[in-house]
Amino acid sequence: MRLDPRTKLFMVFVVSLIAMMSATTPVLWVIRIIITLIPIVLLILEKKYSSALRFFLAYGIALVLLLFFISENSEGIIASLLIGYCGIVVQFMPALITAWYVIRTTKIGEFMSCMQKMHIPDGIAVSLAVVMRFFPTIKEEYSSINDAMRMRGVMLGGGNVLRMFEFRMIPLLFSCVNIGEELSAAAITRGLGGETKRSSLIELKLGLADYLLMAFLTAATVIFVMYKYFL
Amino acid sequence: MENKSKKLKAKDFITIGIFTAILFAVEFALGMLGYIHPFIVASYVIILPLASGIPMMLFYTKVEKFGMITIVSVLLAIIMFVGGMGYLGAPLIIISGLVADFIAKSGNYKSFKKTVLSFGVFNLWICSNYFPILVTAESYRKDLIDGGFSAEYANNLFAAINVKTIGILVVLCFVFGCIGAVIGKAVVKKHFEKAGIV
Repeated sequence: MRLDPRTKLFMVFVVSLIAMMSATTPVLWVIRIIITLIPIVLLILEKKYSSALRFFLAYGIALVLLLFFISENSEGIIASLLIGYCGIVVQFMPALITAWYVIRTTKIGEFMSCMQKMHIPDGIAVSLAVVMRFFPTIKEEYSSINDAMRMRGVMLGGGNVLRMFEFRMIPLLFSCVNIGEELSAAAITRGLGGETKRSSLIELKLGLADYLLMAFLTAATVIFVMYKYFL
Repeated sequence: MENKSKKLKAKDFITIGIFTAILFAVEFALGMLGYIHPFIVASYVIILPLASGIPMMLFYTKVEKFGMITIVSVLLAIIMFVGGMGYLGAPLIIISGLVADFIAKSGNYKSFKKTVLSFGVFNLWICSNYFPILVTAESYRKDLIDGGFSAEYANNLFAAINVKTIGILVVLCFVFGCIGAVIGKAVVKKHFEKAGIV
């Protein structure tokens, strides 16, 4: 199933909005969980089974722990660590899953064409596209730097936090700057930053699935806000 | 360099994107610590400026055109929104970015003093993430507890961040922003200028 990037962006918006207003009653929790399940289902439809399962398990376990085993009065070190972990997962997982889904399934061409259709200034669209693409690169670069450091025996910078930071930050910046040079060379040869309006190979069109999903998300938001603030 | 156009070009947008990604990666890695103890949340004003000083100073020397910091702040605002940090802080993030941009511009992006000052102002975006805690204190507290945090955590958080301490936090943020900029400049000089990257 192919969704329009605009629908995906709308989904990111709605999920973040709902994740931001914390759930306090069972109804709200239900809406929130449904909203979280949508991107997971979409991931399955895109045949990304392993990541869908991973997200599902991580979210499910944290949710169960949080709802049934941790209460307002838990104290002590293990409880507070557990709260920390579950808090992160339950709070940020919905937005994370959605963002991950959008980044993984949206081609950069689609994204740019969508941004153009929504009349977002080029500067923001290009920078945002780069940010989207760059997180996996940073992670990759970082882990190879880490490997290299470990191979040379620089474990945790000899216990010195500052050195540890420096030994990882500087090489990371070096490689990122170089990648940036290559990236801009590649983009400019493809006509980015030209005078004329860019055309796009991909025609964006909203389909039935897009409308259904958007309607559903809007309804979920309205119900959520109503139950939270007016009932 | 002087004759080059003052307007941002495609290449600059890509640089901006990359450095925003790095900045956010640093912020994200450190931000996770905040879940361990709320006092760490308050100490972001010290940790983040120091940590992000190095990449940002490199960034300042790479682009040197008006709008660069503003775009970073817009992107940060978008990411913060998606990350669930709240919509109240978003305009403040953009304002601090815009002001920082103007300060840096007045020094033509070259003056050391103006750059340091500008980075100090830019770091106030960190404080804007505290904004919801202040404005909606009561409901925020309730949300935290209902949302699964312990009462202990909520109490500590409000002990660390409230209307009385926000002034101190803002000042600290600015001061450590400046210190971070000075350190960042030194590191950039030590590593990058030698290598001819800048």
